[in-house]
Amino acid sequence: MAPRTVRLGAGMAFWGDSVQPAIEMAERGEIDYLCCDHLAELTMSILSKQRAKDPGFGYTRDVLDLMRGALPTCVARGVKIVTNAGGANPQACAERIAELAKELGLGGVRIAVVTGDDIRDDIDRLLELGVPFTNLDTGQPLAQVRKRLTHAAVYTGSEGIVAALRRGADVVVCGRVTDIALYLGPLIHEFGWATDDWQRLGMATAVAHAIECGGQATGGLYAGGWQDVPGLESLGYPIAEVSEDGTAIITKTPGSGGRVDVGTVSEQMVYEILDPANYLTADVTADFAGLTLEQVGPDRVRIAGATGRQRPDTLKVNMGYRAGFVGEVVFTYTWPDAYAKAQRGLRFLRDRLRRAGFECEDDIVEYLGHNSMWGGRIPEPDDPELPEIVVRYAARCADADQARKVFTECVPLYNNGPAGVAGVGTRPPLKELFAVWPCLVPREYVEQSVELLEV
Amino acid sequence: MGTRLRIADLAHGRSGDKGDTCNVGIVAYDDAGYAVLRRVLTEERVSQHYGDLVKGTVTRYELPGIRALNFVLTGALDGGGTRSLRSDHLGKVMYAWLLRMELPS
Repeated sequence: MAPRTVRLGAGMAFWGDSVQPAIEMAERGEIDYLCCDHLAELTMSILSKQRAKDPGFGYTRDVLDLMRGALPTCVARGVKIVTNAGGANPQACAERIAELAKELGLGGVRIAVVTGDDIRDDIDRLLELGVPFTNLDTGQPLAQVRKRLTHAAVYTGSEGIVAALRRGADVVVCGRVTDIALYLGPLIHEFGWATDDWQRLGMATAVAHAIECGGQATGGLYAGGWQDVPGLESLGYPIAEVSEDGTAIITKTPGSGGRVDVGTVSEQMVYEILDPANYLTADVTADFAGLTLEQVGPDRVRIAGATGRQRPDTLKVNMGYRAGFVGEVVFTYTWPDAYAKAQRGLRFLRDRLRRAGFECEDDIVEYLGHNSMWGGRIPEPDDPELPEIVVRYAARCADADQARKVFTECVPLYNNGPAGVAGVGTRPPLKELFAVWPCLVPREYVEQSVELLEV
Repeated sequence: MGTRLRIADLAHGRSGDKGDTCNVGIVAYDDAGYAVLRRVLTEERVSQHYGDLVKGTVTRYELPGIRALNFVLTGALDGGGTRSLRSDHLGKVMYAWLLRMELPS
């Protein structure tokens, strides 16, 4: 008998990601679990705002498209779904999924709700208990933004997911659990790993990191040869066949586009990591320093060599706060002397803003197509024959009225500024900024709980 | 004659954000290239190459099993992906600037 493996599929990598790869994976990937990450750093701010407006919202609504497409197949095949689409309102999310399951005529589906990550109502009590919530990046005290906070969500670990699966859940709906926990939870449940088996948990964390960003491991964004990746339009998402020791083979949905090789997986392994020997998660401090990747077949890469140490005593908290508004304009000047005209146009804009009493915290000028990616590292254009130059001006303002002035004062450029301008456009919607306040909370103050809904 | 070799001739890469910190992972195509990268891409040289794009520090880490170097750049995203006014507010193409670096002769 072949050694047992558990097949984990990465269904979604962010809110708004295509649901097609997950549906195809459920149908053709022979997976045991479909793990879906819907939450980026900022998503919780947006979801909290939605929940404040309507207590029935606050989850990522793309999960319903996902479920409509994948749930019937998953139920039929016994594939379990683990998702953090619950966002700021896992309960409401689970209830909508239950309603959808009924509508689809599915019976006997157990949907678990994992909560405990949302500590927004505990902040004052925890401050009194001496948790400072100091900003990890800037060292500033929370008082700075306390009144402007939109949410406070703890990056919680796999414990709630494991408990939900033990109680027979078919779908596990979480809020802000770590992306890694979506994968570790099923593995701990299936293999019965101890929660202090740092070696296996560390190795499995590397496996989870390899696939958690979906198409980024299967040829998406591949800088080592994007020309050679077949079928980007129908990119297959990654699947990990995980062994009992935590090592795995990374592959993808059969018959899908993309490519899995040492190159594509390597790029994902170095994506969004800091010190590879101290990759902190809620479940384990993983160590990727000794990581190895080996091609063992077409679209099959074996991942091994990672380990782990005791998990941190603190958990990371993702708080968000209102950080003002952005006013932004984009306009284009043509040959001849496109750059000189753009300079004159900007002087026009700044002068008008000054006369309008404009105040901003910061602003930026970029020439799209020339220096918008690497700013001052690229010399200013000096070719008078340049066919065109696109100017982007953006400013961060404390209030919306100030931010609105950016467009208002730019409009006269259409008739009154230098010749050869196009594309000022109509008034764009104002963008409200939510900033992240990264901080820590001692683990003992956070407890997950699980509730089961049955359809 | 000819253009000088660049890091892109030896390696590929990817970058991303964690708050105001950007990480740039550079993966060599082969062992010889990795040896060159380790010698050439010192923290000082990388810091100099990014110039005022990076307000904070540059720290280098090694992943020899996948022939990769990871550079952690602090104060690199104009206040962080969520506040930054840059078009590339998430640091998604910061890696390409390092791949563009010419190898010293």
